[in-house]
Amino acid sequence: MFKEFAKGLSITLKHLLPGHSTTVEYPKQRLEIAPRFRGLHRLVPAQDREKCVACYLCPTVCPAKCITVESEENEKGEKYPRVYEIDLLRCIFCGYCVEACPVEAIEMTSAYELANFKRGDFMYDKARLLKS
Amino acid sequence: MVNLTIDGKQITTAKTSTIYEAAKENGIYIPVLCYAKKLLPYGACRICLVEVEQMKGRLIPSCTTPVTEGMVVTTTSDEINKVRKTVLEFLLVNHVVDCPVCDKGGECDLQDLTYEYEVVTNRFQGEKFDLPTDEVNPLIERNMNRCVLCGKCVRVCDEVVGYGSYSFINRGFETKIATAFDRGLNCEFCGQCVSMCPVGAILPRPFKFKARPWQLKDVDTVCGYCGNGCTVTLGVKDNQVQTIRFNEDTGVNHGNLCVRGRFGYSYVNDATRLTKPLIRKGGELREASWDEALVTIAEKFKAAGKDLGIISGARLTNEELLLLKRISSALGTHHLDHSGGECYQGLTAGLNETMGISASTGTFPQVEKCNAILAIRSDFYETHPVFGMVINQAIRLNDAQLSVIADKRGKLSKLPNARTLMHKPGCEINMINALCQVIIAEGLAKTDDLQGLAELTKALADYTPETVAKMVGADAEAIKKTARELAGAKNAAIVVAYGLPYTAHSKEIAIAASNLALLTGIAGREGSGLYLCGEKANSQGAIDLQITPGPAGLGAQQMLNSAAEGRLPVLYLVGEDPVVTYPDQGLVKKALEKSFLVVQDLFLTDSAKYADVVLPAASFTEKDGTFTNAERRIQRLRAGIKSPGEAKSDFVVFQSLLNKLQKTAPAAPAAAFGELTGEVAGYAGIVYEQIGPQGEVWGGETLAPLKKVLIPVAGNEPLQAEYQLLVGSALYHSGSVSTRSKGPMSVCPEPYIELGRDDAVTLNVKTGDMIQLKAAGVTIQSKAKVDNRLPKGVIFAPYHFAGLGLNRIYTGQSVIAVEPSKL
Repeated sequence: MFKEFAKGLSITLKHLLPGHSTTVEYPKQRLEIAPRFRGLHRLVPAQDREKCVACYLCPTVCPAKCITVESEENEKGEKYPRVYEIDLLRCIFCGYCVEACPVEAIEMTSAYELANFKRGDFMYDKARLLKS
Repeated sequence: MVNLTIDGKQITTAKTSTIYEAAKENGIYIPVLCYAKKLLPYGACRICLVEVEQMKGRLIPSCTTPVTEGMVVTTTSDEINKVRKTVLEFLLVNHVVDCPVCDKGGECDLQDLTYEYEVVTNRFQGEKFDLPTDEVNPLIERNMNRCVLCGKCVRVCDEVVGYGSYSFINRGFETKIATAFDRGLNCEFCGQCVSMCPVGAILPRPFKFKARPWQLKDVDTVCGYCGNGCTVTLGVKDNQVQTIRFNEDTGVNHGNLCVRGRFGYSYVNDATRLTKPLIRKGGELREASWDEALVTIAEKFKAAGKDLGIISGARLTNEELLLLKRISSALGTHHLDHSGGECYQGLTAGLNETMGISASTGTFPQVEKCNAILAIRSDFYETHPVFGMVINQAIRLNDAQLSVIADKRGKLSKLPNARTLMHKPGCEINMINALCQVIIAEGLAKTDDLQGLAELTKALADYTPETVAKMVGADAEAIKKTARELAGAKNAAIVVAYGLPYTAHSKEIAIAASNLALLTGIAGREGSGLYLCGEKANSQGAIDLQITPGPAGLGAQQMLNSAAEGRLPVLYLVGEDPVVTYPDQGLVKKALEKSFLVVQDLFLTDSAKYADVVLPAASFTEKDGTFTNAERRIQRLRAGIKSPGEAKSDFVVFQSLLNKLQKTAPAAPAAAFGELTGEVAGYAGIVYEQIGPQGEVWGGETLAPLKKVLIPVAGNEPLQAEYQLLVGSALYHSGSVSTRSKGPMSVCPEPYIELGRDDAVTLNVKTGDMIQLKAAGVTIQSKAKVDNRLPKGVIFAPYHFAGLGLNRIYTGQSVIAVEPSKL
């Protein structure tokens, strides 16, 4: 019985040795992010406007109903999102919006440090999403 | 009946069915693109191909192939699916796939079929079209790059509307749908093409990029404009009516609408709607609370008692009219009338004297099966466009003969088979009398149990077609032909429309028309009918509920007279704008100034500016209740949106008023309808909740006359003046409320005075020039519009616009002598 006991403890002790720790000292140290990580959304800009054509597929597919789109016609007669807002407090980062987008106008970045002080700061409007 | 087998199912169907119709009746699905229930079979898209055992070797288009006895049909097989998929691939070679920005996305037939048949790649390659989109007109947007050439727009415009805006042009790959000379659209803007398009090639421009189809809540209600009673399906989102949706399953109109119904909805969301009650304090209208306003009104009403005059609009629901009647009886006043009292009531009163009934005797769908139709007054299409489309269908499908008794040409005159019996303005009765005379003289009359035939025959001695023709400038032969057609037809219809702009001798016209209906046997015969059509959505309801002066009560015009003389201290206007729409503006203004005026309306109308208290009311999209249309069809309205601000429906306002008068009121429209069925004879037995999508026609499909009395009526002498003005309706507008709607205003934005070509040359006027009309010392000015539908010496002006001040010279005459001059 003692033998088994020592064997178990040795595994534990091995993990205590330097270089075997799985935690990192965040924020000084950061983990490498997987290429398909789903962080903060980004609206992709095109030449003189956003790529988004306000087709309403992302708010339709969104299971958390956190996306607000309002479409309008611009001077060129094109459809564009006058309003594009994501409520991050509601978002569940499922990435369905990215999948649904027919023009690849929305993608998810690797940004995950999304804490903020006010509720209002979690509403990402079009200008913010284009910059993120 | 024919027996056949579809997908192993034994089916018995009518001999006239196609395979597609037989399958649909029995719940078997066959995909289609170019098929539409109300259009003739066409067979353009080849999506509906099926296999028929007896015609092996090729696939058969099911929408154009009639059923035959013993047919064995297969609707799906690997081969059929392969062919359908190929057809879709062919369509998608040219079709631009811009679904994300196409407003049709989500309810597009091509999109749905592409999804269903999993067309993910295309084996064929070709050029996408890059045709310019039609951005010229404000209502209908055409993008022919998306067109699949199903031809539905071409067919609906021709077969149903009878306008013929579109046609296929070019050949082969270059084929496209275009207007004459490929210019921008300049048509009635009824939007039938919009409703028929299976893809996004023709779309409603006011709805452009507003919302996606799946975001809209569909609410079936009844259009609030004319007496046709079309079902409109509101597309509601964010408490706004975003668009009118296409719906061919509900209502008497089979999805057909006119420019007002389809594009005239924007006034309900207008920012200038009244949102709070207003009370005049210190000479100005100031916002007040409901309670304050209602207390003020109740006090005034009580003080006035039997000297209160109530003039109601005919766009209130039956339930609201019932409560209004309760208010008048609670106060003991008999001075109760509605806008129809000016004109439509005359019609029904005339009918009452001859036949003992006060409504149309048939229903609209019956007209489609008629062989001969007589329209009295050329404005009929302009006031009731969708009924006009029914007449057009009777001509196309049934080869009906249409005659129009008209003082000017209109849309009806342009229809095939149409015979226009032109006459000098104001002489309709002479023409009808001449028709009666021919029928009696030629022994064509159905004289069974008719009273007063001898008197009528004697009185009509002066109305031989020749005499009348000479007197009113008509064609005697044409009169005779029409009379013979009407008398000889198996099914025939006589249609008369009346509205505020022509109030003169309405009762006489109704009597003359019912004489004709009785002589030809049209009245009360199954399949035939005499149709009296009121101008407003609930004109018939107001007559049924007797919103008419009680014993010793004053009618609308008399009330205004009386008020102008200071004998009627309080006036209550509900949904009426007499300053703009009633004859004799001077008198109206004087009446409104002199009395304590309460106005209940959607907007601060010209009449409301004279008010002492203004109450904000609700539009037809904001309330529940019922309308009764011109064919006696009771249909339900359903609230789609909430009223802006503190505005309340007339029902709620009347309820509170009744409470202030210490009376009880029904709690909801459904309860009010229950009480109503007990009071209005024809409505008995109708249950509010059971009024179905097609409505409920009171009195049955054919309303039998209670008596058959012929009454002679005298015709009129034509007016001897070089220039004569006719007042009437424009196609794009109805009443004055449509002038607050963006759709109608974008195609008919301002008042105009219409001249015939000859007069335009004489007066040296071109379209767009300013022109002045002088009558009885008053002048009105407007832009001129030159057209070829008016005979020489006849001038026309629509009455809808406040800016024109037409009722300054129009005081109820049938025709006005004017002196035109160019400015």
